[in-house]
Amino acid sequence: MDDTVGTTPGGGFDPRQAAALLDQATQQARRTFTPLTPLLLTFRAVVALVVFGGCWLSVRGQHPYTGDISGWAIAVAVGLVVINIAWTAWVIGRAGIGVSGPAQRKWQAWTGIMAMAWIIGYAIAAPGWHAVAGHPAWELYPASAPLLIIGLAGAAIAAAFRYRPLAITSLAIAATAAAAGFGGPAGSWLILGIGLCVVFLGAAAFTARRQRRSMVRP
Amino acid sequence: MTAELDPLIHVPTRLRIVATLAALPDGDALSFTRLQDMLGLTPGNLIIQLRKLEEAEYISRTKTRNGSAQKTMVTLTSQGRAALRDYARALRDLLGGVDIDAPSPDDTVYEVSADRMRS
Repeated sequence: MDDTVGTTPGGGFDPRQAAALLDQATQQARRTFTPLTPLLLTFRAVVALVVFGGCWLSVRGQHPYTGDISGWAIAVAVGLVVINIAWTAWVIGRAGIGVSGPAQRKWQAWTGIMAMAWIIGYAIAAPGWHAVAGHPAWELYPASAPLLIIGLAGAAIAAAFRYRPLAITSLAIAATAAAAGFGGPAGSWLILGIGLCVVFLGAAAFTARRQRRSMVRP
Repeated sequence: MTAELDPLIHVPTRLRIVATLAALPDGDALSFTRLQDMLGLTPGNLIIQLRKLEEAEYISRTKTRNGSAQKTMVTLTSQGRAALRDYARALRDLLGGVDIDAPSPDDTVYEVSADRMRS
């Protein structure tokens, strides 16, 4: 339907319809262009809870603490992380179809840098910490060190890029990781699971609220 | 002061075009084909509406060539962004306390309903 037919300024298209259409079009466009959707962030909350909760379940009975995580917990973690990466790549790719410009290039740079931060955090820092398992620091930060690095790096880069919500989320991740360090070797996994779940749920709620914000209503 | 609605934007198709482009960060552009997909418009109709917006300098179009394929990118100018802001403000002033979620007899024409707004 050509909705311009028979529509003259001020006639046939009343302000209330215009306000509703403006909000509908704006919200639909925001949902389309948002690279980190509320659903994806909610999934990440579940991933954090299941992955770190699984780690906690497999280490909580260890006396003395060895840090060995059971095979099923690792399998579940790997499966969920792979799904998360694939879903994230799909969502980001879909949001960026046909979009170009400075903000898009900045977002691509952010994605690349954060991918590197995750690789550095887990591929380098985690085995490094494991190598010094007898060291008191390892007793204090068994699970949280990689996330502390990733969270702080993410917060610094997001602040430099002026991504305020991402900077706050990254800082919350770093704060959760730091707090987890005081939960003891086994308890830190549980604190990370619950803490990150809350952080991601908060980010999901914030994103959903921002997407629904009206252009017309105050 | 009585709020006036910009007649160029106060047309359903053009309002949707401007609102869609305004959801992108300042300076970013959207391809013609993606915009067309998102709005469900025919190429001819979209071209006509874009031309009107371009004449008012609310949008700008740039053509890029990648091999044999030509791509048209559409950007909302700062003037267009300001016009949309003024338009939204004018709507707010006009509507005052009116609940825009309340169903209107003509809502079906524009496929807008309170349920859909909330979904």
